[in-house]
Formats: sequence, C-alpha cells, structure tokens
Amino acid sequence: MSSFRPLQKAILFKEQLEAFQASSTYASITSYVEALNNAVVGVKLTDECAASQGITALLEVLDRVEALARETPPVDNATSRFGNPAFKTFYDKVQQVAPQLHESLPTFPSEAIPEVSGYFVESWGNRTRVDYGSGMELNFLCWLLCLERLGVVHESDHVALVIRVFWRYVQVMRTLQSTYWLEPAGSHGVWGLDDYHFLPFLFGSAQLRDHKHLRPKSIHDNEVVEEFSKDYIYFACIRFINSVKTASLRWHSPMLDDISAVKTWDKVNQGMIKMYHAEVLGKLPVIQHFLFGSILPYEGPIVPIPAGHHDDGHGHSHGDASDAHAGWHDPCGIPVPSAFAAAAEEQKRGGTRLGGPGIRPVPFD
Amino acid sequence: MEHEVDGWIQQLSQCKQLTEADVKKLCDKTREILMEESNHDLSELFRIGGNSPDTNYLFMGDYVDRGYYSVETVTLLVAMKLRYRDRVTILRGNHESRQITQVYGFYDECLRKYGNANVWRFFTDLFDFLPLTALIENQIFCLHGGLSPSIDTLDHVRAIDRVQEVPHEGPMCDLLWSDPDDRCGWGISPRGAGYTFGQDISEAFNHNNGLTLVARAHQLVMEGYNWGQDRNVVTIFSAPNYCYRCGNQAAIMEIDEKLSYSFLQFDPAPRAGEPLVSRRVPDYFLVNYHLYHELHDELIVIFKQ
Repeated sequence: MSSFRPLQKAILFKEQLEAFQASSTYASITSYVEALNNAVVGVKLTDECAASQGITALLEVLDRVEALARETPPVDNATSRFGNPAFKTFYDKVQQVAPQLHESLPTFPSEAIPEVSGYFVESWGNRTRVDYGSGMELNFLCWLLCLERLGVVHESDHVALVIRVFWRYVQVMRTLQSTYWLEPAGSHGVWGLDDYHFLPFLFGSAQLRDHKHLRPKSIHDNEVVEEFSKDYIYFACIRFINSVKTASLRWHSPMLDDISAVKTWDKVNQGMIKMYHAEVLGKLPVIQHFLFGSILPYEGPIVPIPAGHHDDGHGHSHGDASDAHAGWHDPCGIPVPSAFAAAAEEQKRGGTRLGGPGIRPVPFD
Repeated sequence: MEHEVDGWIQQLSQCKQLTEADVKKLCDKTREILMEESNHDLSELFRIGGNSPDTNYLFMGDYVDRGYYSVETVTLLVAMKLRYRDRVTILRGNHESRQITQVYGFYDECLRKYGNANVWRFFTDLFDFLPLTALIENQIFCLHGGLSPSIDTLDHVRAIDRVQEVPHEGPMCDLLWSDPDDRCGWGISPRGAGYTFGQDISEAFNHNNGLTLVARAHQLVMEGYNWGQDRNVVTIFSAPNYCYRCGNQAAIMEIDEKLSYSFLQFDPAPRAGEPLVSRRVPDYFLVNYHLYHELHDELIVIFKQ
C-alpha cells in the first residue's frame, strides 16, 4: 500500500466528476455499498450476527462520540438559522480525540491516522456550515471501507457493519441533528428522500427484499410501521420521519410516498442503488466535497482550486480577484493531463483562467 | 387576456397546476412586462399609497425549492404579477436561479409534475428578468439577501446588469446571498456566497442613502420577523413551519401611507386532506429509468449555454 497522507478535495467541475465516476475509487465505493447491501438481505436488526473484535471497538467509538455530544450542550442561539455554534465545540472535541480513538482499534496502523481519521471527523457534519447530509454520510461509509482495507474489520463483519455499526451511527447522528439543529445540507426539501440520510433507505430496502408479507405500501399502515420498526431500518426511518414532521407522509415526503407504489422491495432496493449512484455519487454539489487520500485516490484531471477553498470548500476570497485563484491544487502528484496542464500553464503566465471565475463550489442556500 | 389570467389565478388558488402550454404563455407575457418595467426604471420604485385604493404587494424572493407546491406558488405569483402589474412586485431571491433550483428541489418537482424540464426552463428563464431590489418611498430598501462591499449607493444598484443567471460573486450575487451579523464590518459568509455585514455597515448604508431601513428575507426566523442591528435591518420570513419541521411562525410586514409598520404573524394553513397529485413511481424505480439520465444530460447542456 502506498504511503498514507492527509485527505484533500480535488473535484470542482463536471469533467472531474466524470473522471471520478470512471475511477477505481468510484468502483471501490459502489462495490462496497453493494457488498454491504447484499449482506443484509433478509436480515433483521434483532438477529444475532457474527462480529469480530473490530465491531466491538467501533461501537465503543460511536458511544464515545455520543458521549462527547452529551457533554457539549447547545448554547443559547435563538435568532440564528445556521445551526447551534456548540456544534463547532463538539466537532473540535471529536477531532481532538480522533487519534486516540483510532489507536484503540485492533491492528490499526498509527501512521494511517492523519488520512483515515479525516473521513471519521467529517462523518459528523460540516464545522463551518453546521450542516449534515448524504455527503457526510458518505464519509462514514468511506471510513468503514478504509478500516476494512486496513484489517480492522473483515468481510465476515458485513452484516454487523450495517445492522450494528451503521445503524448505531444513524442513532448518534439523530442526537447530533436534534441537539445542534444541523441544517440539512443541500436538502431538496419535500422532493428528496429524507432531510439528512440516504443509506438507511438503501440498506433498509435490502433487508426487506425477500420478505414474505411486508410490501412497500405497508409504510402507510401505522400498526405495521410501529411493529416492524424494531426489526427493519426502512420502517424505523418512516416511523422517525412521521414523529418529527407535521401533516402526512404524502405531504412532507412525496418521494417515499411515490416509492411505496413500487410493487416489490426488490425493485425498491435496485432503485435505491441507482438513485444513490445518480443523486449522491453523481452530483457535483455532493462530490465537490469528496476527500481523497492514498486508499481512495483521485485519478482524474487536476485544476487550480481557489486558495480559500482548500479546507472548508466554502470559504471564498475577499481580496482582489488576483489572489482568488492563487492556490494550486496538487492532490496526489499525478501527472496533469495535457488539456488541463496547458490551461494551468497559461494561467501561471497570467493568461486566461481555466473555466473563468465561475468554477467554484455550489454555495449552500 | 385578463379573463384568461383570472381563470389561471382561480385554478392556482386551489393548488392546481396549469398546463405546460399555459405556463409558457404566462412566462412569455410576464417577461414582456418585466422588460418594459426595467426600461422605465419602475421596478426599483415601488410606491405605497398614492392613487391606488388597494393594497400593494411586494414579495422578496425564494418562491421555489423544498416545498410541496413550489410550482403552483410561483405560477400563482407570476399570474398575479401579470394580472395586477402595478400592484404586485416580485423580487428575485437566491433560489430564483438555474443552479440552485437543480440542487434544492424545484427542478425535481417540475420533472415530477410535468414529466419533463420545460416548465423549469420557462420559469428559470423568466427569473433572469426579476428585479433585485425595491425602494419604498425612498425610505425602505427591500431585497432578498443583504448588502454588498461593492455597493455603496443606490446608483450602484441601478447600474447592475442584472438580466442574467445569478453569478457566483460580485454585487448582484451579494444582494441575493448576504446576511446581517453580530460582528462589525464585512465577514466571510458560511454559505460560500455573499458576505456577512455588521451594524456599522448597515448604519452607514442607510445614512449615506437617506434610508431608514433595510428589509430583507433569506433567513429562517422563529417569530416570522426579527429586528436586527439597532433597527437598521429587519428580516421577514413568510414560510410557516419550514420543511414541516421547524415549527416557526411566518410574517408579513404591513406598511401604511405614513410609513409606519406592523407585522402580521401566521401559522400553517390547515391541510384539507391529502394533496391532489397522484402517486407516480420515480424513474429510478422503473425499468426505463434511462429517460431520467437523458433529461439530466439535457439539463447540463442548457446550463452550460
């Protein structure tokens, strides 16, 4: 394995997104999603499952994160819509304990901490914007993927990774979302699947794929939802949404309502995978924040990224226009493809800027 | 024409969408009047009172995205503008943009309700012609977001070449994206567009331009309105219980002929049963979902033009 390095963003525009979609990193992520998905077909949350020492350690890490949130109550913030500033304190605490938490994981190589802990820290939301969405959820998935590559967990742990670790992560996230009033990042409002999450619906529909009696339309039967939410992630999510939203599912979640008209869970599950590829892994507003390292490298074309965009992806230059594009992005030392190298050289010589000043991350509403 | 628009308004008031052809007609006609208004420089001069015995309405942006009835809402507002052009002013918000509506739901909603992106295209093309600001009796400066470090005077605002997609930076972007802040001076906005501005900035802007108030929207406030910066700025938010979960009230600011203001707060209207739209399985869950991808490709092409 190549040497570990801190994570960096690399994607800012469509051609890079397309290169990402053709890359081995993309293939690693999509096949990991499918492996976890297939592992939980027919599995209930209440089932016994094989779990290595790594699973136990991960659950302890999640407990520790939740404890940090409990120790960091929200501060008085009556008028702001940007979520609660105490989240930043919580985030800093997580960042601070991250190395120690990683050292507690079995067989984890300490030299991988700067790289792998980057995914872990970003799994809990964005510090600057105090928001959370499917992009941060993707960081958690990448973290699990890295841990598996490093031998902390194994293929035999896949069931436990979904029904124990991932489901516990969702519970911790709900604590954070409600404690700090995290803004739904890039929310489509009623036209999205959920304000915050995607993968629980994907894994949740996998659990139900072969179910003998329950159908997608069963989400409208409150008794069924109540009874089966202890066994199935999908029903638990419907129950949770109904509990936090006013009016009916039809109003606040027309996507889930529409999906309930699909005949079989098998079709729902296939659709969820297609939708995840298109709406999460295929969307620039999400993938512009994707973090690359040695385990999940960026292999596409490189462009200059404005200096202010390096760290939070949302800063922007307040100086004159000339310093806005002064920062150069060199994610992995990969040779720059000629088309981009030429444009970059041109810019260095003070020529036209690649793509003009319009190339920058999509702001959050 | 008036009769036809009245029929549309009646239909939309019941949350029933217009046909694609009618939306096209509506957007074409409204674009004509918006262009005339901008030629006469009327869009920035909005008078309360005067000879008109009835209430005038000023809307401060963000008509689309996230809600169940964005399409019906924006169609109704545009129809009202077309029918009562001197009484209704519709400003542009940061969501009245091609890029933002592709992220935050309006594009998805148009696809679901019309089966194609045409209605989305009619509206986003019309949005380019919406005015950015309004000035009430030379006293109250109204806009969606906030102030800009590139704008010191109202003449700077008038000089903006505004008929275009909302840019990523610069004065036009700032007017639609900035927020007031407790800190003094200009600050980096956590949104990644626009700026934050302190009380010193709004005080100076109001003083230098002979204004008493900046009235703006753009941020959720729990009471529906919120005074800030020693009453130099007021935030007004008129979507109650935002996203069916925030539990906030909504508000309208009412201004009389003496320019004294009061606020009307309101809660969500009771839902009369279930929505009228029929269930429609999203394309990802159908066999022919490639259609969806083709539409997205088409969209990217439009956006690049």
